[in-house]
Amino acid sequence: MAVLSMGIFSSLIGSMSTDFAIKLASSAIEKGHKVNLWLSGNAVGLVKKSQKHLKDYSTGEKHLIDLMQKGVEICTCEACTYARGIQKADAIEGVQWNAMHWYLAKIHSSDRVLQIGGE
Amino acid sequence: MKLAVFVSDYRLNVDTLDRLTSAKLGIILVQNGVYHATLKENGKPSSLLGKNADYYVLMDDLETRGLGSATIDDNIKVISYGDIVDLIFNEYEKTAWL
Amino acid sequence: MADKKLAFIVQRTPYKSENPKLALTHAISYQTVEILLEDGDTVTPTVCLVGDGVIACLKDQKAMETYGITSTEMHLKSALLVDLDVMVCKEDLDRFGISESMIVLDAEDMGADKKIQIVPFASIVETIKNANHVLFF
Repeated sequence: MAVLSMGIFSSLIGSMSTDFAIKLASSAIEKGHKVNLWLSGNAVGLVKKSQKHLKDYSTGEKHLIDLMQKGVEICTCEACTYARGIQKADAIEGVQWNAMHWYLAKIHSSDRVLQIGGE
Repeated sequence: MKLAVFVSDYRLNVDTLDRLTSAKLGIILVQNGVYHATLKENGKPSSLLGKNADYYVLMDDLETRGLGSATIDDNIKVISYGDIVDLIFNEYEKTAWL
Repeated sequence: MADKKLAFIVQRTPYKSENPKLALTHAISYQTVEILLEDGDTVTPTVCLVGDGVIACLKDQKAMETYGITSTEMHLKSALLVDLDVMVCKEDLDRFGISESMIVLDAEDMGADKKIQIVPFASIVETIKNANHVLFF
């Protein structure tokens, strides 16, 4: 088993980068690897619960819950999240909240890192 | 260095890839990057395909855009998400997302 | 006990995209990462400004006065203050006609010893090669 950490910085809706990261994480898990997901910048909107899945829009809640049930650690940047008006009570249960050093610590123990940055 | 570069756009607004040197370079075309594998502007293939690199294109992102694998050049390997996992763990040491 | 070297590559202009700022703030967070690591483990980031990213180091940015947000200039100075290596690509500065007098070179006013290093692109490639992981922003 190897460890992959991904940093996601793009918004859930409007970039498709998050959809890519979720599918890649799922494939890595299926192959027996460990995956960590760090959400920062506009990606933090992904942690909001009660997302309504309209078919014209990407959705994340169901996928995040599924990934966490399979052992994926998911953490949102708390500064980025609070800045966007999302409180812990609004967030999907199980998602961790931490400072940016969480990502660096996970990278330290990772075999591979995929930083999905620019929009 | 063994570097896998994910190209996720058709119009790149950064030129980092043009200047990077790597002993082994893999270019993985995903999202709108898959158009590099399919479009020929003025009859010419994308200049991105002229590098000394191994090329891959993600099947899901081709199909999403109404593109099939039939017209993809032989030097571009059509791959799945699972193949990407294997590539980044087994073939390359570092990744870049452009 | 291990040190992991990370290369943060900033290749876009600041402000319109949040990514250059986030590259800097994530790199700066190395200062507190040890609370989450095993004893003796460390993370050493290097920040590299390349391509359009070199524009981020222009001095006299007034983002606080105009929009009430911390300027990228201030984030660069904060990076120097916590002893990060910050490299700026010389060829790209030359391409834009940006001279040394136009950019942030140090944060002496904040008490930092580190200075920004203007280096050829080849040095940045070497930094990428020597890093354990690379993060493109």
